[in-house]
Amino acid sequence: MTDIAPRATRVVASTGGRRRHRGGGPRGRTIAAFLTPFFLPFVLFYLVPVGYAIWQSFLVVRRTGGQYGTSYTTFGGFEQYTKVFQNDEFWSSIGRIGLFGVVQVPVMLFVALIMALLLDTPLLKLKSFFRITAFMPYAVPGVIAAIMWSYLYSPQISPLVDGLKSVGLHPDFLGPGAVLWSAANVSTWLWTGYNMLIMFSALQSIPQELYEAAKLDGASNWAIAWQIKVPIIAPSIILTTVFSIIGTLQLYAEPAVLRQISSNISSTYTPNMLAYAVASGNNYQQAAAISVVIAVITFVLSFGFMRLTSKKAGL
Amino acid sequence: MSNTVTRIRLAVVAAAAGVAVLAGCSSPAPSSDASAASCEPAKGKVTLQYWNTVPGMDKVVALWNKKNPDIQVQMKNISNDQYGTIGNALKAGKAPELAQVGYDELPFLRTQNAFVDASACSAATAAKSKFVPWTWSQSSFGGTGVFALPQDTGPMALYVRSDIFKKHGLDIPKTWDDYAADAQKLHKADPGLSITFFDPNNAEAFNGLLWQNSAQMYKYSGDKWHVSVASDQSKQVADYWQKLIDAKLVRTDLAHGSTQMYTAYQKNQIASYVGAAWGYSMFRDNLPDQAGKWSIVPMPTWGANAASGDWGGSTVAFMKGNKHLYESVKFNSWLNTDPEALALENKLGGLYPAATAGSKLPALSQGVPYYNNEKIFDVFADSSKNIDTDFSWGPTQKTVNLSLQDAMAKAAAGSGTLSDALSAAQATALKSMKDQAIPATAGK
Repeated sequence: MTDIAPRATRVVASTGGRRRHRGGGPRGRTIAAFLTPFFLPFVLFYLVPVGYAIWQSFLVVRRTGGQYGTSYTTFGGFEQYTKVFQNDEFWSSIGRIGLFGVVQVPVMLFVALIMALLLDTPLLKLKSFFRITAFMPYAVPGVIAAIMWSYLYSPQISPLVDGLKSVGLHPDFLGPGAVLWSAANVSTWLWTGYNMLIMFSALQSIPQELYEAAKLDGASNWAIAWQIKVPIIAPSIILTTVFSIIGTLQLYAEPAVLRQISSNISSTYTPNMLAYAVASGNNYQQAAAISVVIAVITFVLSFGFMRLTSKKAGL
Repeated sequence: MSNTVTRIRLAVVAAAAGVAVLAGCSSPAPSSDASAASCEPAKGKVTLQYWNTVPGMDKVVALWNKKNPDIQVQMKNISNDQYGTIGNALKAGKAPELAQVGYDELPFLRTQNAFVDASACSAATAAKSKFVPWTWSQSSFGGTGVFALPQDTGPMALYVRSDIFKKHGLDIPKTWDDYAADAQKLHKADPGLSITFFDPNNAEAFNGLLWQNSAQMYKYSGDKWHVSVASDQSKQVADYWQKLIDAKLVRTDLAHGSTQMYTAYQKNQIASYVGAAWGYSMFRDNLPDQAGKWSIVPMPTWGANAASGDWGGSTVAFMKGNKHLYESVKFNSWLNTDPEALALENKLGGLYPAATAGSKLPALSQGVPYYNNEKIFDVFADSSKNIDTDFSWGPTQKTVNLSLQDAMAKAAAGSGTLSDALSAAQATALKSMKDQAIPATAGK
C-alpha cells in the first residue's frame, strides 16, 4: 500500500522524461484530451471488433451429446485458415475480383483524370455545372445506384435495352460473360466523379506561374497537361488508385443487388459475398477467417502498390 | 515516450481485455433442450414476447390482448432480417417466448439449442390432432417433443392460363410427361410463348418439387444424419427440368416474384405457374386485368398416385428461456387453431393455415372471384393431404440451399446440369454439418 504513490510518480517522471519543452505535463494532457474523443471510439468500434474477428477465426465448433446436444467453440489453431486456402470458391472469387480490378480501376481513373484535366482548362465554360454533374453519382448510395442500373439492364423493362433493340442490337447485360462488366459499369458510374474531384482539387493547388513559365518556353496546352499537371498530381492519382484497390476487394453492394435479377451472380461471387454467405449459415469462425484473409490481401496489395510508386508519389 | 503513446498502449491492453471478455462469452454452453420444462400457470399477469414477419399480425395480437387481460402479448415484426434477429437474440440470451420459424429452419435452429420442449403442457400435445399431419411431424421432430406449433403452409398446385391452353387446344396435364408434351406444343405454335419459367435462384421452390417425388433428402437415425440430397428421386426431377431447359421450353431468366416475372406474365409470354397456396394473391394483386383467365389445378404427378409438395410456410416456436410455457401454449394454439384468428391472418397476411380447421373458413371454402369463382382452396386442401409426411429438412438447410442455387444457376447458364447441382448440394450438406460438428453420413 505504501509504495503506490512513489510508483505513480515514477510513471509520470518517465513519461515526461524526454520532453524538450518545460511544463510538458499539462500540454501532454491537453493533447491527450483532444485525442481521446478519436481514440476511444476507434478502440471500441474498430480495434475491438477486429481483434474479436481475429480471435474468432482461430476457433472451431465442437459438440457434445449428438446433434441436439451442446455445441461449444474451442481453439482450433489454423484449421479455419486451412479451409479458406482449400476453398476453390474463395480463390475463384478473388480471381474474379482481380479481373474486375485490373480492368475497371485503370479505366475509371483514366476517365477521371481526363475529366479533371478538361475541367482545369481555361477554355471550358460552365465549370461548376460540369463539376457538380460529374460528382453527383457519388451522392447516390451504392445500393440505390445498383437498383437503378438493374432496372436499366433488365431485358423485360429497360428503356435502354428497348432502345438498342430498335437499332438492331441485342445486348444481354446480365449474361454469364457480361454481368461482371455490368457491375463494373455501376462502380465506374458511381466513383468516377469522386476520383475526378480529388484529382481536380490537386490541380487547383498548382501555382499558375508554372503554366506561365511553360507557355513562355513554348509549351502547348497538351504538353502542359501531360508533362506538368499529371506528374505534379501523381500523389493524388496514387491515392485514388489505392482507394480503388481497397474498394474493389471489398466489392459487395453492386453484385449483391444485381444478383436479384441475374442468376449469373452466385452467392459467392465476390470475397465479401462469400464471407456473408458463410456467416449466414452460422459458420462465424469460417467467415471471420475469410474476412481476415481478405483484409491481409487488401493490405498487401494497397501497400505493395504504394511501395512501388512511392518514389514517384513522394509519399 | 509521450502520453499519447502510453494511452495507445493502454487502449490496446484494454482492447485485448475486451476481446478476452467477449471471448469468454463466445462459447455458450447451454443445457440441452431434451428435458421438457414444467408447465405451471403463472400467478398474476404475464407478458409474452412474440416475433414474426406476418403483415397485419398486430391486429390479431390486439384481438387476443382485448380478450385476455392476464396474458398480454407484445409483438415485434422482424421481417427485415428474421433469422439474423432471432440468432442474435439467442446469442445474447434474450430470445422472445415465441418466434416465427420456417419449417426448413427448424432443424438448424434446434442444433443451436433455440427451442424448449413444451410437451409438459397437455394442451400442447393435444394440439396434434388439429394440424395437417406433415406439419406436426416437422414441428415435433417426428413426435419427439413439441417445439413449435404449425402456423401456415404452402401446398403446391399448378396455376394455368386456361384461355391460352384453350386457344392452343391443350388438355390440363395430369402427369409431368403430359406437361412436357404441352410445353412442346406451345413452343411449336408460338416460339415467344413458354409453358413456365424455372428460377435457378430459388431452392425453396425446387425443394418443393423434390418433396413431391418422395425425395427424402435427410433422415435422422442412430444418432446421425443420413444425407441423400442427390438420390434417384431427386435426380429424376432434376433431369426432367434439365431437358425442358435444354430444349428452351422453359424460361430461366426470370427471378420468382420479380417485376420481370410479372411483366412476362403480363405480356402473355408464359402459360402456367407451378406455385404454392400463398401465390393466389400474388397474381390477383399484381395482374388484375388477367382476372378470369387463371385456373388452379393439382400439380402434375410422376406416377399414377396423387402426390404433392410444399413450398414455404412457418411455425410459431417455443423459444429457449421461455418461463411461461403454460400461457405461451394457450396463446400459440389460439393463434393457430382459432377460427377467428385464422380468418384474420388469412385476410390480412394471406396465410394459408396449417390447422385442419382452416379449410372450413368462409374465405377458404368459397369461390374466388379472380379465379372464375372457382373454389381454388379445395385444390390446395387436397394437395395438402397428399404431402409426404416423412420428409425432413436438414440442419444446415440455408447453406445447402445457397449452394444448390449457385450450381443450378450455372446449369441454367449452360455449365453443368441440375443433377450436378444436386451433387454439389450433397457435398455442401456434408461439409457444412461437419463444420457445425453435427454427425452426418452419406446415403439413406
